[in-house]
Amino acid sequence: MIGILKSELFKLRTTRATLIVATFSVVLPAIIFSLTSMFAFSNGEIGDSLVSMVGNFVPLTGLLLGVVGVLCSTQEYSQGTIRITLVATPNRLKVFVAKLLTTMLVSVLSVLLMLLLCLVPSQLILTSRNITFEVIGSDLRVLLSAIILSAFLAILGLSLGLIFKSSPGAISALLLWPTILEGMVFGLLSLAFKDSNLFKFAPIQGNGFKLVSTFFNSDENSWLTSLTYFSAFVGVFVVVGAVLFSRRDA
Amino acid sequence: MIVVENLTKSYGSKKAVDNLSFSVTPGRVTGFLGPNGSGKSTTMRCMLGLDKPDAGIATFDGRQYTEIDSPLTHVGSLLDAGDAHKGRTARNHLRWIAMTNGISASRVDAVLQMVGMQDAARTRVGKFSLGMRQRLGLAVALLGDPKVVILDEPANGLDPEGIRWTRDVMRHLANEGRSVLVSSHQLVELSLVADDLVVIGQGKLISSGPIGNFMTQHAKTWVRVVSPQFDALADLVRAQGGTVERTPDGGDFHAISAITVGNIAAANNIVLHELSPQTGSLEEAFLDATDASVEYRGQSTTTNVWDAPQP
Repeated sequence: MIGILKSELFKLRTTRATLIVATFSVVLPAIIFSLTSMFAFSNGEIGDSLVSMVGNFVPLTGLLLGVVGVLCSTQEYSQGTIRITLVATPNRLKVFVAKLLTTMLVSVLSVLLMLLLCLVPSQLILTSRNITFEVIGSDLRVLLSAIILSAFLAILGLSLGLIFKSSPGAISALLLWPTILEGMVFGLLSLAFKDSNLFKFAPIQGNGFKLVSTFFNSDENSWLTSLTYFSAFVGVFVVVGAVLFSRRDA
Repeated sequence: MIVVENLTKSYGSKKAVDNLSFSVTPGRVTGFLGPNGSGKSTTMRCMLGLDKPDAGIATFDGRQYTEIDSPLTHVGSLLDAGDAHKGRTARNHLRWIAMTNGISASRVDAVLQMVGMQDAARTRVGKFSLGMRQRLGLAVALLGDPKVVILDEPANGLDPEGIRWTRDVMRHLANEGRSVLVSSHQLVELSLVADDLVVIGQGKLISSGPIGNFMTQHAKTWVRVVSPQFDALADLVRAQGGTVERTPDGGDFHAISAITVGNIAAANNIVLHELSPQTGSLEEAFLDATDASVEYRGQSTTTNVWDAPQP
């Protein structure tokens, strides 16, 4: 199993598209956040914690890491290497688990790096300009949520890739569902059922992205409920992806 | 040794492989022949666990492919030379494959040298010609130093030197006691290297066994004769039940053996300048054997299909 894991990691780091997207997922939020720290706050104090502000960038990082997950599976099909992968390791469950662990590892490392690159330079910039910021109790939870959200979005991408077997289909589903379709679907459902509170059932925006919030209203799901709901949503795709991957002819 | 027993695979209502059985013996090169769409690649994919057969089994020394630990060290395969990420270098392509089966990096360099690609080791696969990709595919097949080698069209896209080299590699592998199963459309090349043949058509077995048996069964044989008294000899041959086909130099006698023709000529004091038994090529034998099972057939070029109609 170690050999398969090493092989999957090696495949990821020797693929240019994957490296570029993973780099973007780290660097893009870091640049935006550093520029914000440099120009947005001129003096005084920030009425929020730095971590909670960084939390707003985590969905972007998570979605980009989801694209890394998609590429991890679809590139095997588009380049034909899936046949060699399965000839080298005929146990498909082992291959699936290796891909899952690799994708999660890459996403956790990427989001940790992103947090580091966002927080450390910003803290230095703001401190040097005597701008104060709060450290609040929910910071640790936001940091933990950032890691969980990114890892889950990455394996959601991997699973969508295994289901669709093509990058355009899987990436479209991964990006369009949370950014456009989920809002439309739950907006229509709210109208149909005359209930404005239905958005809390939206799996990604209403629960996944909500994980990195600092506060939860009483009419929203709690952090734990959101985590459970979002995990179950991702879990369904992981199971479907695993079953299709195991049963389909290569 | 490879044993395929009653292998059956359907895609929807179409039977791609139909109750196919054959074996591949160690120390011999076995050619796997069949027209396009006859089920050769499907059979190979089923053997390697890539496609799940509806029925039947393929074993390598008694074990199914999916039951073998580190399978690359037992069975090496080349299914499609295009199965490589275009952005990876040749060496990195081999390295990720090697890692899965615990094969060392030094073996990667060794097989790159074996296939003559040591200078292109750090070149991206996307920059390779089809011939270079075939060589890389062969390197993948040889990576684990396997006892069994399965090659699907290994000479596709290779130049004459490359084709000859592939042939030598297959012969060398068989001489080392390995089982070699190779599918190819280059029948002349195959006839030069194969010891045994497995011929299939529309997923069914047509013939299996030594290449000599196949030729005896399916290749046309005739007797070529050059003689100043050809017409006299032709009349005598016709009287014995043979048929005659006139050529500029002499003629060909069918349905009669060279020995009989020789005896007739001797008994009648007919001078012979040439008397030679002739055998058709593997290509002709293959076309004869698979004629009934060709699924996709081109139009005859005797009526020129490329000529545009005149306005």
